[in-house]
Amino acid sequence: MTDIVVTLKNITKTFGTNVANENVTMNLKKGSIHGLLGENGAGKTTLMNILYGLYKPTTGEILLNDQRVDIDNPSKALNLGIGMVHQHFMLVRDFTVVENIVLGQETKKLRFLDLESAAKKIEDLCKKYKMKIDPYAKISQLSVGEQQRVEILSAIYSGANILILDEPTAVLTPQEVKELFQILRLMRDSGKSVIFITHKLEEILEIGDEISVLRDGKLVDTVKTKKTTKQQLTNMMVGRDVLFQFSKAEVKSDKITLKVEGLYCNNDKGLPALQGINLEIKNNEILGIAGVDGNGQKELCEILTGLRSTTDGRIWVCEQEMSDKTPKQFIQDGVAHIPEDRHKTGLVMNFSVMKNCILKEFDTGKFSKAGFLNFKAIRKAAEKIVKDYNVKTSSIEAKVRELSGGNQQKIILGREINCVPKVLIANQPTRGLDIGATEYVRQRLIKQKEQGVAVLLISADLEELIQISDRIAVIYEGKIMGILEREEIDIETIGLLMAGVKGGLVSEEDIAG
Amino acid sequence: MKKILQDSIKGIIPPLVAILLAFLLGGLLMKIAGINPIVAYTSLFKGAFGSNHRIAETIVRAIPLIILALGISIAFKARIWNIGGDGQFTVGAIFAVFVALTFPLPNAILLPLTFIAAFIGGACWGGIAGFVKAKFNANEVITTLMLNYIAFYLLEWLVKGPMMDSNGHGFPQSELINEGLRLPVLLQGTRLHLGLLVAVVLVIGVYMFWRSTLGFKTEIVGQNREVAQYSGIKVNKIIVITMFISAGLAGLAGWNEMFGVHYRLLENISGGYGNLAIVVALLADLNPLGIVVSGFFFAALVTGGNTMQRMEGVPFALVDVIQGLAIIFVISRVVYRRWRDNGARTNNDNGILGKLVSRSGKNERTNSPASNR
Repeated sequence: MTDIVVTLKNITKTFGTNVANENVTMNLKKGSIHGLLGENGAGKTTLMNILYGLYKPTTGEILLNDQRVDIDNPSKALNLGIGMVHQHFMLVRDFTVVENIVLGQETKKLRFLDLESAAKKIEDLCKKYKMKIDPYAKISQLSVGEQQRVEILSAIYSGANILILDEPTAVLTPQEVKELFQILRLMRDSGKSVIFITHKLEEILEIGDEISVLRDGKLVDTVKTKKTTKQQLTNMMVGRDVLFQFSKAEVKSDKITLKVEGLYCNNDKGLPALQGINLEIKNNEILGIAGVDGNGQKELCEILTGLRSTTDGRIWVCEQEMSDKTPKQFIQDGVAHIPEDRHKTGLVMNFSVMKNCILKEFDTGKFSKAGFLNFKAIRKAAEKIVKDYNVKTSSIEAKVRELSGGNQQKIILGREINCVPKVLIANQPTRGLDIGATEYVRQRLIKQKEQGVAVLLISADLEELIQISDRIAVIYEGKIMGILEREEIDIETIGLLMAGVKGGLVSEEDIAG
Repeated sequence: MKKILQDSIKGIIPPLVAILLAFLLGGLLMKIAGINPIVAYTSLFKGAFGSNHRIAETIVRAIPLIILALGISIAFKARIWNIGGDGQFTVGAIFAVFVALTFPLPNAILLPLTFIAAFIGGACWGGIAGFVKAKFNANEVITTLMLNYIAFYLLEWLVKGPMMDSNGHGFPQSELINEGLRLPVLLQGTRLHLGLLVAVVLVIGVYMFWRSTLGFKTEIVGQNREVAQYSGIKVNKIIVITMFISAGLAGLAGWNEMFGVHYRLLENISGGYGNLAIVVALLADLNPLGIVVSGFFFAALVTGGNTMQRMEGVPFALVDVIQGLAIIFVISRVVYRRWRDNGARTNNDNGILGKLVSRSGKNERTNSPASNR
């Protein structure tokens, strides 16, 4: 008698010449939460897709309760009690919760949908796992966190004893993460097994019982959470020690590169997004912008790159007035931009690495002659970016879609820096990147600053802001609540300002109210 | 150079395979229907290629198809669904013939003028759709389609009214253009005209277009408008320009048909070439050289199909069946690839059809699990 429910034995999976998993052996215990840790592109998702029947392993076998099983497709996985919640939810937005959950079930017995008894069963499950979900609510009305719970419910409803969660916290707020963890603990205590894929160390140390670390498709080791440390896990993931500290050079210059004055604008819904922003960035400093998402950061970036028009206010780059200029003029005048969403804005996913390297400058003499693209120059430039920025790709002809997030970000970084900017607007430049790539991007930003570029860094990661910014401005409801000089930077003050509490004190209106 | 060759071959093979499979399955269907497929295909082949005359007829049909499909491919690559090829063809033809009949200029000057007029005529007609799309976000599928009808009735009115041939015994047709303006016949005793060379030049032109910065902008706009804006591209301007070029090419197809085949305006001159050209462009996955192959294929089917019906009594509808099968096979290629890669994040070279077949971008990344549940 053993308490191991699933064994992955010597799993190897190759895509063409690309090895995604190599000889991975892993055991999952009954009633435990097993963390699967690794950098982006380490093969975590591929391994779990094999267990869930989305991929067939090239070699190796899966043992379920010591029996060899062939999992050809997800419905077979579900029959065997294996459920998976993907990063992107597979829910029909216009259906209700109960309809979505029943949708995933075998319909052999159910000639007519018995939604009422299904809803009843869902309510019972909700009670058991302390979730608050209205079975008759439409998916489109639910928050992201609630949708995720519906996915989990759906898996449990269909009898899953083994639940795979792929980066479940990536889309959640800290509060929702807590709730998720509570649900997972209840599941563990009722004898179910959970595989938790992540690249966030703190989370897995909090929730996991055992942790398996993958690196470059290979299993580094499986350790007990209690007997490991953050540092040890990091080393296993990255394969070397990571620099968490950066040295900050003194800001020497006082030349102002970017200046904005009294900036007002509306958001997409026509409501005021920025309400009188004043900022100055010197030519070798990093100004960090802290703030809860949606307080005008996106609009600020778009205005500073010409993508959105202001309702009032002025912008100068190197004493040149930029108000009302087009995105192209901003590019030409030396404003580089690392956008928030690299898939939607920063890269053409179906284009090759090569073509993505020239998005900003294909029109210039650098890459074109008499209206025609100069492929020789383009090739050379792309090869240089790949080399200089250490982009892992099979060739410059490979589609950007095939690259990992970190490598995609490196291409954007290389492209933007190659434009020799005066101002670099970086919006969430390390979001979704693994430790190695994050460290790399931060170092590059510091290097840019040292070379005389004014860097505006918008980040939801306070640690990141504190690590590399020279000053930090806090934005709240489209206004700058305060700008902290280097020696004043302190996480609690920032936190209060982010919540709209001016100068660390309750504002007068609040007292009056 | 090697790269260009590789690209070309890559562009040609998929339509060839689809065509081959379509013939095989079409043959099976005939067998079931009690027709000897070998006899039918022989007759079809003979009808399309049996003599110099027949080959010439096939080519004459292929020319406007290829030029129209080139135009359509440019719009489609920008994800602008220009389905108004027929209308743009018609207006291009009207402009060109009007210029030819109106201005008393030496032929050496007049002929190039008619060429330009045809381009501008088509381009303005499509440009209307491009403009209202850029300005008011009007759906181009609807506007281009509606503009087709306006163009047809405009032509009908012209050939029955202001432009009607006074010596034409009341036939709805314009006067003939003078002989010096007609495109010379390349092969004695056939209708094969100089338009073939024009088509060849245009194929090369479109090939070059995709290597130009304007072509690159068009491609980026087609892939992702947000990225295009981020890259400093004026998206609306590119939409209008793209429609302009796409429709201008359709106008040139009209010019070819007027100056190479009919020499005058008649009713319904586009004869549904516009719709067939959409299929030609899609079968070729919008690749210029692929368009040449698929354009010839469809032209041969139509030419040969007529003969087949006459000689062997095999209904012309078979031609439609083979056309349909070819399209199905092209699409199945995309689906097969998806299935084979089974959820792999890459969706290589699915091209335009892949995009047409694929659902929302979100599902594309994680791919098929939704359908598996």
